[in-house]
Amino acid sequence: MVGYNLKLGWQSLRRTPVLSSLAIAAIALGIGVATTCVTIHYLLAGDPLPGKSDRLFYVRLDSWDPERPFDSDFPERPPNQLTYRDALAAVVESDIPARKAAMFRARLYLHPEGAQPFSADTRVTTRDFFALFAVPFRFGDAWSAEAEARGEAQVVLSAEINRKLFGEANSVGRTIKIDQQIFTVAGVLAPWRPALKFYDIHNGSERSPEEIYIPFALARPLGIVNAGNTSSWGQGWQTVDGKYDSEAVWLQGWVELESDSQKQAYQSFLDQYTDGQRAAGRFQRKNNNQLQPMRAWHQQEEAVPPSAKSLMVIALAFLGICAVNLIGLLLGKFLARAPEVGVRRALGASRAAVFVQHLVECELTAVGGGLAGILLSWGVLGVINRALEGDVHYRLDLPMIGTGFGLTLVAGLVAGLYPAWRICSVPPATHLKLQ
Amino acid sequence: MELGPIFRALVKNRTRFVLIVLEVGLALAVVVNCVHQLSEIRATVTKPSGLADEENLLRVLVQPFDPELRDRDRAESLRQADVRRLQNLPGVVAVTRTSAVPLSGSGNSSGIRLPEKRDADPIPGPNFEVSEDWLRTFGVELVRGRDFLPEDYASESVAEAILTEALARRLFPEGDPLGRQFVVFGSEPVTVVGLVAHMTNAWPDSEVADLAFFYPGRPVYERYSFYLVRVTPGLAGEVRQAIDKALLAEHSGRTVEVQSMTEVRAETFRQSQFVARLLSAVIVLLVFVTALGIAGVTSFSVTQRTRQIGTRRALGATRGEILRYFLVENALVTALGLVVGIALAFGLNDGLARFASATRLPLGLVFGGTVFFAVLGQATTLVPALRATKVPPVVATRAV
Repeated sequence: MVGYNLKLGWQSLRRTPVLSSLAIAAIALGIGVATTCVTIHYLLAGDPLPGKSDRLFYVRLDSWDPERPFDSDFPERPPNQLTYRDALAAVVESDIPARKAAMFRARLYLHPEGAQPFSADTRVTTRDFFALFAVPFRFGDAWSAEAEARGEAQVVLSAEINRKLFGEANSVGRTIKIDQQIFTVAGVLAPWRPALKFYDIHNGSERSPEEIYIPFALARPLGIVNAGNTSSWGQGWQTVDGKYDSEAVWLQGWVELESDSQKQAYQSFLDQYTDGQRAAGRFQRKNNNQLQPMRAWHQQEEAVPPSAKSLMVIALAFLGICAVNLIGLLLGKFLARAPEVGVRRALGASRAAVFVQHLVECELTAVGGGLAGILLSWGVLGVINRALEGDVHYRLDLPMIGTGFGLTLVAGLVAGLYPAWRICSVPPATHLKLQ
Repeated sequence: MELGPIFRALVKNRTRFVLIVLEVGLALAVVVNCVHQLSEIRATVTKPSGLADEENLLRVLVQPFDPELRDRDRAESLRQADVRRLQNLPGVVAVTRTSAVPLSGSGNSSGIRLPEKRDADPIPGPNFEVSEDWLRTFGVELVRGRDFLPEDYASESVAEAILTEALARRLFPEGDPLGRQFVVFGSEPVTVVGLVAHMTNAWPDSEVADLAFFYPGRPVYERYSFYLVRVTPGLAGEVRQAIDKALLAEHSGRTVEVQSMTEVRAETFRQSQFVARLLSAVIVLLVFVTALGIAGVTSFSVTQRTRQIGTRRALGATRGEILRYFLVENALVTALGLVVGIALAFGLNDGLARFASATRLPLGLVFGGTVFFAVLGQATTLVPALRATKVPPVVATRAV
């Protein structure tokens, strides 16, 4: 029966090529715009680590000014980053979390042999970073725990920087001079470009992940400081040593906690730690140490640009207008066929059969338009990627193609219901009389 | 007037007209909200920065990698040598050192308080530490008071500041700001010695983009320094190349990056420009689709009523009367659609405000949108309506 209806639908589309093309074009435009904007929103706001993000927590300690809160609009919120000593003592040196990373962004100089040195976007981090955030490797792996403990100069390269320095070769074990230090390559990442830099939303959340990754243990010995936001309520953070020893917050701390009991244990460890610091003269505010789940953290800090949200709403409204247009086109087309339907009804076709037949034709039109629309959105996203010059990389993935297709079916159904109902309620006699 | 028959015909063929009402309503709502967002983006992107002639103001970023330059004194004497070299380049008008670059998206901000109200919440104080010749280099207008004195730049402490008028108004809502004092960096009170008309700070899309103060000094960072260079119009290209060579000749253990302020601005606003382009595309497509929809429905109704039109013509109706019939009919339907659309526009705006921090729709824009769609409705009806006027009276007499 479905096959027969599909065949009828196909014949009808071919009989009115202009009207059918218009209808298909309307849906294609609507689906193209909607899928594009929904995809952009989904890549920015979707879960960056499905199935894992609820175990990842951003560590916040209230080390701020005893006189006033970090954010006077939200006095209950602790500072959005950590001081160096707290990142070291409360994150790196705790054995409670299953995994933990203390880190910051920096810019360091790469000195390729026989070429001009250039500055590279760098993440200075403990080795768990890669496992915490499921970072894909192409060659090698993170530096080992032993290497980290010994403070060895090892580096992980992004796919792009590996291509720039070593071609596509497996560069594990080779060396590269960074600043004044010779580093050995421990691993090379596979291409990795989340739309939102979800592990550090305060220092250029729209940027690509960093180009090189070096051990946190080397930060202080090499005198590396961050290239990013630093907030301070005290003095003396402008020099390198000052930055490490002052109350300035400039590092991010992440932990993976596998169970509630682990979370509670870590929370009480943090509270004990700050109590101890308070006795020693720091942390003069009352304890406000928070373990913020990753998604809640993103939401609180409004990591998703509002324009992405409003574009999505507007695009869905646009699809609605295209669907209303489609209603008009289908209605005109179906009613012009009323005499023919009258004959079919007189010959015994049930109302339901006529209804289903026309609904199938609507869906056929919609699916044609939807496929064109998804293709259109693929092209538009390509143009957008080129316009943004590698700043972001938006692409359609399977769930988004599925969403585009789902929107198509819904639009087809919404647009088709009324015209199909109108045509199936044509009384057979009226049109028979006219013939 | 034939309002009665038109109205009765509308009620009889209500489906088609409900479609037009829906379409016009939705289109008005979406277009008005899109244009609103677009104009907000445009306002931010094109707002004057207060810097004179951005094309001829260059930002030079120098990042040392040679460990020799970690020595504070060595680095400072090199920075002073850099400034002298830059000043002597042909085509250079003025050079200054600065702690941050306007419009660039990264800079310094410290909370400001009044000495008598030290416990109040601080006012945001985006700031620029600048050295000699900064006024001429930035090209901002000093409207009150005086520039810093030559000896101020070498002083270790911060005693004087020059404010943008916006910051002065915020800090001292009453009375003359000149000579008043404020507290910043947790130090001794700083005295206001001058006011500049307007300058955008490092964060042009923030709510506090107009707030800034300048204080004299020798900006020092261990890993980078900024120089601003004002050049003679037309020579920016040559000066850029010369800057690179001159600074590396002074010391090669560092990298030099030069950008004009026009480029700094473009980079900062790239995302906004992208959203603006997407919105413009949606607006154009939407108007196009709506026009097609109205034309389609009217055209269909003309076809359906060919016989009726012929009968009216045979009974003496003029072509003008037929044309007027369709135009008035469209005007009635569009008007209804626009009423629905105005309500939807405010509803959508409300949703966007809650969901994506949009601002209130200006009434003028809603009015403009309404007029636009009213005209669009009449214009798109005109083509099928003119076709209707060409129906000859003889059609009435023909059998189907």
